[in-house]
Amino acid sequence: MTALIEARGVSKRFRQHKRFPGLLGAFKTLVTTEYTEVVAVSDIGFDIAAGEAVGYLGPNGAGKSTMIKMMTGILVPSTGTLSVLGRTPHLERMTNAREIGVVFGQRSQLWWDLPLIDSFTLHQRIYDIPLARYQDNLKRFSTLLDLTPFLDRAVRQLSLGQRMRAEIVMSLLHDPKILFLDEPTIGLDVVAKDAVRKFLAEINRERGVTIILTTHDLQDIETICPRLIMVDHARLIFDGELKSLRAALGSSRRLTLEFATDPGPLPLSSATLTADEGLRKHYLLEREDVSLVSVLSEVGNDRGLKDVALHEPDIEEVIRTFYQRRNAAALAS
Amino acid sequence: MLHHLRVLPLLVQMHIRSQMEYRGAFWLDRLAQILSYGSVFASIAILLARFETLGGWNFPELALLFSFQLLAYSLGAALSFVQLRDLEELVRLGTYDTLLVKPFSPWAYLVFSGLNIGYVGHVILAVALMAWATMAVDFNWSIWSALFFVAALISSTLLTAAIITMIGATALIWVRSNHLFAIFFGFWELTRYPLNIFPSGIQFILITAVPLALTSSVPVGALLGKPIPILGDWAGPVSLIAGPLWVLLAIAHWRYATGKYQGAGG
Amino acid sequence: MSAYTAFARSSFQSQLAYRNEVWANIFGKLVQVFARVAIWLAVYAGVGAATLVNGISLQQMITYALLGGAVMGATRPERVINEIGRSLKTGDISVWLLKPLSYPLYLFANESGSFLYRLLTQVFPTVAFTALFYGMLPPESLFHGAMFVAFWAMSFILLFLMSAFCGLIAFWLMTSFSLDWMFGALLNLFSGLMVPFWFFPEPLATLARHLPFGFVVYYPNAVYLGQLSVTQTWLYLGLGLFWTALFFVGVLWLWRKASTRITVQGG
Repeated sequence: MTALIEARGVSKRFRQHKRFPGLLGAFKTLVTTEYTEVVAVSDIGFDIAAGEAVGYLGPNGAGKSTMIKMMTGILVPSTGTLSVLGRTPHLERMTNAREIGVVFGQRSQLWWDLPLIDSFTLHQRIYDIPLARYQDNLKRFSTLLDLTPFLDRAVRQLSLGQRMRAEIVMSLLHDPKILFLDEPTIGLDVVAKDAVRKFLAEINRERGVTIILTTHDLQDIETICPRLIMVDHARLIFDGELKSLRAALGSSRRLTLEFATDPGPLPLSSATLTADEGLRKHYLLEREDVSLVSVLSEVGNDRGLKDVALHEPDIEEVIRTFYQRRNAAALAS
Repeated sequence: MLHHLRVLPLLVQMHIRSQMEYRGAFWLDRLAQILSYGSVFASIAILLARFETLGGWNFPELALLFSFQLLAYSLGAALSFVQLRDLEELVRLGTYDTLLVKPFSPWAYLVFSGLNIGYVGHVILAVALMAWATMAVDFNWSIWSALFFVAALISSTLLTAAIITMIGATALIWVRSNHLFAIFFGFWELTRYPLNIFPSGIQFILITAVPLALTSSVPVGALLGKPIPILGDWAGPVSLIAGPLWVLLAIAHWRYATGKYQGAGG
Repeated sequence: MSAYTAFARSSFQSQLAYRNEVWANIFGKLVQVFARVAIWLAVYAGVGAATLVNGISLQQMITYALLGGAVMGATRPERVINEIGRSLKTGDISVWLLKPLSYPLYLFANESGSFLYRLLTQVFPTVAFTALFYGMLPPESLFHGAMFVAFWAMSFILLFLMSAFCGLIAFWLMTSFSLDWMFGALLNLFSGLMVPFWFFPEPLATLARHLPFGFVVYYPNAVYLGQLSVTQTWLYLGLGLFWTALFFVGVLWLWRKASTRITVQGG
């Protein structure tokens, strides 16, 4: 069975006019015909099946937006093949556009001076959505994302969080098979981010909308995307389940023990002491098979142990560890 | 195609409603523009009061030329100028991409969602001057000449829109395109005067590369029976064909520019 | 002081940064200069090229046309007006109130940089090139030539001040868009760029001579061509300085009022 999205050896190169620095350089730039070439995406391949939710992660300039633009038909790959819903996106742009939804985090598609509902009405006309279906979707999504009280308000009067929720609702009104999101939670407050993440996760699970999400925010990935593709310097560096990334990088849990009185130095056999603050001591449990119970029994109940806190590594630490190990490996080779 | 036609009126209506949010400034701005173009016309009047003819054209004839050019420009620019000038900014901010992910022609969306009613001031002035000039000019109007006049006006409108669209489309290739508009307007100001006063090099450019003479002094000169440099007796037919021809060129250019934007060349 | 020089310099440099733009602007200016000369050739042809109209020859008018573009071609009043309008509207201007810099002075430094850039890369080459074709008369005398430079410098400053004045008025009165176009209308008619005052019919000529706009193009050019006697030249220099001082005070006064209002009301 062919995947919904298939990428093979996709690369994208840009040519830029060479700029020379300084005042004299400015005059030189006037007459030069030299170019520099920038590689934004280098030899990337993956398969995405229908109903998946994939997070596309990487530092700035890693080529995330470029990849999304190629999948949505905005840019043409320099080399390689890309197939979305069985089509080459840039060759069948309009047909492809009908079946996908796109949300750009920092570029709005809403009409600034007009009531929100007007942008939705326009969307319905452009995508030729049957009226009943449109109204049904509108009602359902607006309720879920709490937009109904704002439908008649001018877009310029809405907060950033409200506008982003509106953009997401709009992108789903025509029942797209795939939803592309480019940094959708950027600039949003915690409450708004939470609402957006939960909604997207639900859309994916219950309606089977395939989701491709680029982001910096690892919480987005944790809540929405079981699968993770990581890129760095235009190359693919990881493609797999978030679970397995966690497992592969070990589960160094952090343990904090709080005492009523300072028990003195307290080394443990099953955990490594990382910081000793007297009443509070921090440890690292590196082995997965070590249980909290065994650690506490080693501490014993005559030291005046007052409180215990166990910290699962959060996704940021996991990713950071991944990059650190990768950079260390690169340096060593 | 039909699907597009049904959406266009909604786009235009939404844009007009957006503009009317700022109604107060609107008419004042129109008045200011009328005064500005009026002042240029007044300068011509002052000059002609002293010298009586310019390149063999008298004042009523120059008034007809001025108003024809202004009207054709206003109608053509309403369909193109602000929208295509702002394309440079849309590309820079990445907002243009939002047009490419819709199942809709990006050009149509761009042009009709920004259909500029701000030219109504220009149109009012042009029509008023034209009404006076058509009567004041020493010319025997007939059905044929009137038809030619209207057809030339339509062709000139199309030509103006086509040229502006092509200039703006370079934003898809070069990212910065507004300097080309500076050239355009420089030439445009020239074409409110009869073509024969310019050196032949400029005459040639104004008929071919930046054919703005075909939106003003060539059709009006042909109508009034003035000798037209380079084109001679072909002036009339050329003026009528130029509009549709350049529209075809603009369409091809837009396709090319879009291809470049998408990096189809690699 | 060095901050302002830095602004002027960076304004100059950033204009150079886009090469296509630079060439296009040069080309555009060249066309306009040729066009202005062409118009004078055409009207004089109608009365006989050797004729003196109001005592002025074709050759003098060609020189007038070549000089006329020099100041106007290097400045763009609409930039100043709209820039002020924009920062007032968006509230950006309040950022300036926090800095240990004067906003009007910054604008002036900025405009000076742009002016110099346009002068050097666009105006001088195009005027020189066109002068090769049509011939340009030298100044009427050394005195007139020197005074021309003085009038010219004053013209740039006065034009800037008038533009800044318009831009600031927009804060209270109209949109900067409409002010820009109306100011443009006044310049079109009364700066002398298109038609010098000596060709104006009577009530209009006297009116034009009394307005400040003439100092932008007409008076510098009239001095160059020796159309003003030595006494008259000094007189009009004084008059020009008076207008400059007037607008200078006006700009400072408006700026103070605007900044007070912004700091009180929050923009």
